[in-house]
Amino acid sequence: MLRRWYCHRFVSTARLYTSSLCAQRKCFSTSTHCRFHATAVDEAEVAPLRKQLKDAARASRHQQVSDTNGKDQLRRERLKDWELTVGIEIHAQLNTSSKLFSRASADWTDVPNAALWPFDMAVPGSQPLFQPPVLIPALRAAIALDCDIRPRSKFDRKHYFYHDQPAGYQITQYYEPFAVNGRVTLTQQDGLAPEEGTLHIGIKQVQLEQDTARTQQHDEETSLIDFNRSGHALVEIISLPQLHSPQAAAAYVRKVQSILYAVDAATTGMELGGLRADVNVSVRRFDGATGNHSYSGVTGLGQRTEIKNLSSFKSVEDAVCAERDRQIDILEAGGKIEGETRGWSLSNPGATRRLRGKEGEVDYRYMPDPDILPLHIDNDLVAHFRSTLPPVPDQLLDMLRLSYGLTADDAGALLNLDNGTRLLYYQDVVSRLTPSSNNNKTAFGVHVGNWILHELGALLTTTETEWHPDLIHAQQMSDLISLQLKGQLTGPSAKKLLRILFAGEKEPVSVIAERENLLFQSMNDQEYVELANRVIQDHPKEVEIVQKNSKQAQGKLKFLLGQMMRHGDRNRMEAQRAEKTLRSILMP
Amino acid sequence: MNPAATARRLKSPGEIRRYSTIYHDRLRSARGTRAVLSGLENLVLTGSPYPSGRNIANDEVIVLKDNFLTTDLPTTCASHILEGFRGSATSMVGRLLQDAGIHIVAKTNMDEFGMGSYSTNSARGPVKHGFDSLEQSVGGSSGGSALVVAGGLARFAIGSDTGGSVRLPAAYTGILGFKPSYGRISRNGLIPYANSLDTVGIMSTSVKDAISIYRILNKHDPADPTSLDLNSRARIEHAKLSRSRVPDHAASDQVSVRVIGLRDKKESARLSLEAGMRWKAYGRQYFTKRSWRIGVPDEYNIQEMHPWIRIAWLKTLSVLQDMGNDIVHISLPTTQSALSAYYVLAPAEASSNLAKYDGVRYGIPRDAELADNHEGVLYAHHRGQHFGDEVKRRILLGTFSLSAGAMDNYFIQAQKVRRLVQQDFNNVFTVPHPLLEASTGNPEGVDFIVVPTAPTLPPLLSELKHQSPLDSYVNDIFTVPASLAGLPAISVPVVADDDLPPTSDKNIGMQIIGQFGEDMPLLNFVRDTVEAIDPPRPRETDSRIWTARRF
Repeated sequence: MLRRWYCHRFVSTARLYTSSLCAQRKCFSTSTHCRFHATAVDEAEVAPLRKQLKDAARASRHQQVSDTNGKDQLRRERLKDWELTVGIEIHAQLNTSSKLFSRASADWTDVPNAALWPFDMAVPGSQPLFQPPVLIPALRAAIALDCDIRPRSKFDRKHYFYHDQPAGYQITQYYEPFAVNGRVTLTQQDGLAPEEGTLHIGIKQVQLEQDTARTQQHDEETSLIDFNRSGHALVEIISLPQLHSPQAAAAYVRKVQSILYAVDAATTGMELGGLRADVNVSVRRFDGATGNHSYSGVTGLGQRTEIKNLSSFKSVEDAVCAERDRQIDILEAGGKIEGETRGWSLSNPGATRRLRGKEGEVDYRYMPDPDILPLHIDNDLVAHFRSTLPPVPDQLLDMLRLSYGLTADDAGALLNLDNGTRLLYYQDVVSRLTPSSNNNKTAFGVHVGNWILHELGALLTTTETEWHPDLIHAQQMSDLISLQLKGQLTGPSAKKLLRILFAGEKEPVSVIAERENLLFQSMNDQEYVELANRVIQDHPKEVEIVQKNSKQAQGKLKFLLGQMMRHGDRNRMEAQRAEKTLRSILMP
Repeated sequence: MNPAATARRLKSPGEIRRYSTIYHDRLRSARGTRAVLSGLENLVLTGSPYPSGRNIANDEVIVLKDNFLTTDLPTTCASHILEGFRGSATSMVGRLLQDAGIHIVAKTNMDEFGMGSYSTNSARGPVKHGFDSLEQSVGGSSGGSALVVAGGLARFAIGSDTGGSVRLPAAYTGILGFKPSYGRISRNGLIPYANSLDTVGIMSTSVKDAISIYRILNKHDPADPTSLDLNSRARIEHAKLSRSRVPDHAASDQVSVRVIGLRDKKESARLSLEAGMRWKAYGRQYFTKRSWRIGVPDEYNIQEMHPWIRIAWLKTLSVLQDMGNDIVHISLPTTQSALSAYYVLAPAEASSNLAKYDGVRYGIPRDAELADNHEGVLYAHHRGQHFGDEVKRRILLGTFSLSAGAMDNYFIQAQKVRRLVQQDFNNVFTVPHPLLEASTGNPEGVDFIVVPTAPTLPPLLSELKHQSPLDSYVNDIFTVPASLAGLPAISVPVVADDDLPPTSDKNIGMQIIGQFGEDMPLLNFVRDTVEAIDPPRPRETDSRIWTARRF
C-alpha cells in the first residue's frame, strides 16, 4: 500500500518519477520529502475516529461535571451582558462522481493515487476542464438554501503552499460566486432554545471549489499523500454573522447538512468527514459602544477570530462556547481581541488555541484563473432543478404534521433520526397499512409513529442497538399494528410480539402470534361468571359495600374488577365485559 | 528540408564554415542529424532518434521549444527545477505535427520558463550564434528555435510567444516569426508562463512554410479551455465580411455560400445569406483583395529607435505604398502604458503558475541538506535553489502585485490598461473584433498595422551583461501590445540598406499586426507582398524590402 502513496519527508531519501502520471493505475515510488507542516488541524484530521469518539465522550462527561459548579453559574450570569455573534463557513463534498476540473473519477477508492489525471497532480502543461455534472448537486444545494443563482460566475485562484495542494493554489469562486443571498430557517425543532424563537440566517454566498489531497501521517518525518481526493468538487456555504448562541451555531450546521442530504447534494456528512465548518466568533457588550468591525453589511461587530476545521456539530457548539468565554475574559480584564486564526480539538474542548495571528496570516493573493472561462448557468436549467427538487426538511415537517397527524415533536424526531432512514421506514409502514383507495394517512399516522418512535425506540435504547430498517421488516411491523388495531392483539401481547420480532424472528406475524398464543380469544360468558363468583366469594366485605350502594361503592367495584383481571387470563379478557358481568351479578 | 538535405547542405563548404566542422561527419544518417542537434548544446537541449522503420528522407523535421511536452524527450523549460521531467502525453501541437508526418527531432533552448528577451536566462547557458563569429544576441525567449531555423537545421520550428518571444528572436535572427491570435492553436501541453497571453508561435524562413504549419495547428482543441471553439471561429469568418457593405439590390439574390460551424441554425442561415450576397456582388475579387489600408501608429515612432530600424520601417512603408496600398496614420494612445501593464500581468500569472514547482511530485528532487524543517518556510529552499534569478524576480514581482495591499493599484489597474489597449486596436481596424458584441469596426480604419518588431538591433551578449532587467523589459515595447490584445502578429525580416552585406548584427524585423482572428488574411498579405517584392530572382533588383533571408 505504501508504494502507492506520495510521501512527504523532512529528510530526503529518494525521488519519485512522474513519467507515468496519466496512466491510470501506475505505482508511484515512495519517498519524496518535504517539510511536514504540523498544525492542530492536521492532528485532528489524522487521529483515528475511535480515539476521537472516546475523547469526545470523556470530554462531555467532564463538562457535565464542571457545569454544575458555581464558577459556571457566574459565567452564565455574566453572559447577560454580552452578545455573541457567529458566522459560519461550511465546506461540503458534493455528491457527484466527477471532479471539478478533471475527467478523473471522483468515486471513492481505497487504492491511493489510483485514478488520476495529470491536472489532479498539477502536472505542468495540464489544464482545467470544467465538468458540468458537478452543477447538478451544486445547483440543488444552492436552490435548497434559497439562493439566487447567478447567470454568470467565475473561478479564482487562492494561493497557499501546502503539501495537500499540488498546484500551490485552490480554484474557488471568490470574486463572483455562482449563488448568493440564501436563507436558512431555524426553529426549536432544529435545536434552538425556546427564547430564541425562529431565526432566519442569511447565506452570503455559495461557491464551487476544489478539495485538497488527503494526507496521512506515516511516521514522525513522513506524511503520505493520496491525490485521489485532490480536485473533488466542494461547495463552500458562507453565512452572515447572524447566529447568537453556540446552540444556534450547531443547529445551523446540522440544518444545512440535513438540507444537503434532503436534496441529495451531499451524502457524506460530518461524521464521515464530508462536511467541515470554520466559525467566526466575536462578542460585544449589549449596553456598551458598538464595535467598529463589520462583515458583509452587518456592522458594529466586535473583533472576530476564526476557528478552523471543526468536524462535528458538538465541536461547533463547544468551540464557539470556549471562544466566547475566552473573548469575554479578555475584554472584562481590559484586554483586546486579536484578529487571529485559532484551533480547537476534541482533547481539550473547553478552550481554543492560537494557530496564527494577523502577522502570520496567509495572503491568499486571489487571482482570476486565466484558464477557466466564466460559468454560464441557464435560467431554464435553474427552473428545472427548482421544479424537481426533493422536499427540504421544513417541507417534510409540514407534511408529517398535516398529512400524517404527527405532533411537531414526533415529526421532528422522525426527520432527524438515522439520516432519514427512519422516516422512510415510517412512510413505508404507513403506506402498507393504508388501503390504496384511501389517501387519508392520519388514520394510521399517529399510531405507526407511536410504535416506530416510542415502542421501537425504547427497545433500541434499552438494548443499545443501532437502528437499521432491516431490524424488523416493514411488512411485519404493519401486520403487527394491523392486528392490534383490529383488536386481535392486546397492548401487552403486541409489545411482547414486538420484542420477538426485534430479536430477529423472520416468520410472518400471524404465524408467530398463533404459535406464541398471543392472539386475543375472548372468554365466554360462562367463564366470566365463574371468575366473577370466585372474586365475590374471596372478598365478602367489598361485595357488601358495593351492594349497599354506599359512597365507596364505585371504588370497591373497581377493586373487584381489578381482582378479576388479575386472576383471569389477561390476553383473553376485556375489561368492559368483566365489569358488565360483575355488575350484573352484584347489582341485578 | 529533410535530414538528408540538411546533411547535404551542411557538407557544402560555405555551410561547414558556419557550423563547427566537428559535426559534419556524423551527418550521413538521421542519427547523425540528431548528433548535430544534440551537439549544438547552446541552442538545442535534447534531440531524439527517429522512429525506426520510417522513410525519413521524405519526411520533414521540426524542433519544439523546450516548454512543449514530449514523451520521448525531457521537457524542462530550461530550468533546473524541472530537470529530467517528462510529460505523460505529447502536447497537442506535437501530436498534430506528428499526425501530419513531421518528426520532432529536438527540444530547443530558451529563457527559463520563457522569461527573457535574449535567451540568456537558461539553466543550460545562453543561446549563442555559434556559427557566426559575432556575439550577437539571438533574441528570446524562443532563441533556440529561431537559431535552428536560421541555421537551416530544420525548416520550421515551434516557439511560444507571451510578449514577443517568437517575434523578437525571429527579428534578431532574420527569419519569420508568427504569433497567431490567442486561442487559435491549442496550448494543451504547453507549460504556461502567463496563460492569458501565451500563444504557440511558428518560425520558418518562408511564409508558405509558416502557412502550411499554421494550417496543421489551427484546430479547436476541447482539452484546452481557452481554445477558440467552432462557434467563435465561425464568428471570426463572419466578421471579415464587414470589410465592405452589401448593396441593397443584392439582397434578393440567391445564396451560394454557407457559413458553417455556428450552433445557432438561424444565425448560420442569416450569415450564409449575407455571405452569399457579398459573393454575388463582388465575386472572387472581394475575397482576394489586393489593395490594403496600412496603419502606422505615431506612438511607435519613439526616440530610442535605432536609426537603421527607422530607415527600414520607412522603406517598407514606401514600398507598400508603391504596390498600391494606402498608408494611414493612426493613433494607439495606450501603447505607452502597455509595457507596464504587461510586466504586471505576466509576472502575476507566472507567480501563480510556478507555485506548483515544489519538488514533491516531479522535477529535480529536494535536497536533503536544505530540506525545510519545522521552523522553515515550506518549499522556500527548494525553490530558491533551483529557480534562476530572472524567474525569481518575476515571481516576486507577481506575488507583490497580487498581494492584498497592492492588488488594486497594480493587477486591477493593469487589467484596465489591457482593456484600453484592446480598445485602441478595435478603434483603428476596419474589421470589428469578432468576439466582442460592442465592437463595430471602423469603416475608415485599416486592415493591418506595420511597425518594427523591436526598437533596437540585436545587441552583443557582452553588452547585455551590463543591462539592468528594466533595460531588457523595454525592448519588448513593440511586441507586448499585440500580446495584450491577443492579436495575430508576424515578424518579417527586412534589410535596412541593400548595399550592406546581410550579417546577423543588422537583422531587422518588421511586424505586421492584424485584427483578432485575421490570421490567414495576415499571412496571405505577407505572402503576396513578399512574392510581389521578392520573387525568386537575383537580388540586385531594387525595391526588395522583405527577404526571407538565408545564411
